[in-house]
Amino acid sequence: MSYNSHSRQKSKVKPIIYGLLSFMLAFVLFLLSVFMVLETTVFSQDYMLSKMAETGYYSMLEDELKTELKSLGNASGLDESFAEDFVNSLDITEIEKQYISAFYCGDKTLVNTTEFKQQLYAALDKYMDDNGIDKSKTSQENLDYFVEQACERYVTQVSIPFFSFVANYIYNASKPVVIITISLAAAALIISAIIAFTNKFKHRRYRYLCYGCAGAFISVTLVPTVVLLSGKISQININTRSLYNLFVGYANGIFMYFFIYSAILLVLSFVTFVLYRRHYYKAINHS
Amino acid sequence: MGSLFFSNTEKNFSEKYNNIFVPVNEETKPVENKETIKLSEIEFPSYGDQFGELIIEDCQINTKLFFGDNDIALNNGVGLYNGSAIPGYGKTILIGGHNNTYFNGLKYAQTGQQILIRTSYGNYKYEITDVQIKNYNDKSAYDLAADKENLILYTCYPFDELGLTPKRCFVYAKPLSSNIQIDKTK
Repeated sequence: MSYNSHSRQKSKVKPIIYGLLSFMLAFVLFLLSVFMVLETTVFSQDYMLSKMAETGYYSMLEDELKTELKSLGNASGLDESFAEDFVNSLDITEIEKQYISAFYCGDKTLVNTTEFKQQLYAALDKYMDDNGIDKSKTSQENLDYFVEQACERYVTQVSIPFFSFVANYIYNASKPVVIITISLAAAALIISAIIAFTNKFKHRRYRYLCYGCAGAFISVTLVPTVVLLSGKISQININTRSLYNLFVGYANGIFMYFFIYSAILLVLSFVTFVLYRRHYYKAINHS
Repeated sequence: MGSLFFSNTEKNFSEKYNNIFVPVNEETKPVENKETIKLSEIEFPSYGDQFGELIIEDCQINTKLFFGDNDIALNNGVGLYNGSAIPGYGKTILIGGHNNTYFNGLKYAQTGQQILIRTSYGNYKYEITDVQIKNYNDKSAYDLAADKENLILYTCYPFDELGLTPKRCFVYAKPLSSNIQIDKTK
């Protein structure tokens, strides 16, 4: 094999290797963005609580619970005012915070109904006294059934669907997330360093770095853009206003984080592209 | 599969219900003197819509009739169970209501009394044939697969009782007359 053909072969292999390195960089940066988003949103108790506060979840939940209890009271011969007295947003906020805290600790996300049940029985007693209803003529069985149904509706309202199912998975998955994020960041730096220090020409190193950043930018931007443009988030089949608003706010928050990271990647792509063009013209002028 | 997770429109959480009920004259034929009306010609109610009214003069009941028996329907009137048929269709019509509100008058229900159901497509008269008290989970209380028109009204029993009761009062009725029937053929 002559020196010239060997050199030509080498020049063909190099772009393929650097192309692969750029692809790997894009992939690692994409994964890094995804894990950083997950860490700040899905695995963060603070994020969930902040979204609950922002979307007015507690007050909406209070209204819904009152409506549920009013309907149940309507079926049970109780006045509408009955539900007003023992449901308030402060209690609901406290219970919901305990519920969320248990979720992120990997505990069983059970709603404790003991206090609610006691309040309900006390309110029923007071209601009968106030309305002159003879307790001895009222079937305890019927009242118990009412309280049982009310507790069931209370638990359904306060609980978040699938939370008890995924609690353990989220807890276990949250442990290695930080290590994975750091590892991905290290991998991105190593790949960037390989691209930077093994290229003789500066414009080429910036070009491959630009490819990596641009590839990551496109992949990070693509999914949230498609989902948001489809409008599917606002059409999600959730039947309660509180949960619907929480879900939409929660999902939009996650997409916002994706867009923040995609903006950072866009800036990096732009900077590396400018550097590539500058050094490219320098190289042409030199030759 | 997509519709399992996503609806076609943005969600509406309004507590208000849709009313599609426009009364028709009790004596005249509502559609060009025809004896029957095709199902496709009816403005079929959506779940939760008010599509008629139910009147039992002897029981002092005059209430709105909803399609479906969700909380909004039962807080404002009585509701047709979603798995049963609409009046005039020739099958079982199962209507529920609360015993302390709109169906409280069922405590006066007796054999021979008349029930009138008015809808936008026709008016239907029934006669009470039986009143029975059964358990809420008693499957023999109704037959939704029956091939003849029959009306069943039900509510919790005993009446005026505080709390939720496991017993139900079923009022059975047979059709007496109507100004139009639904043609089941397409």
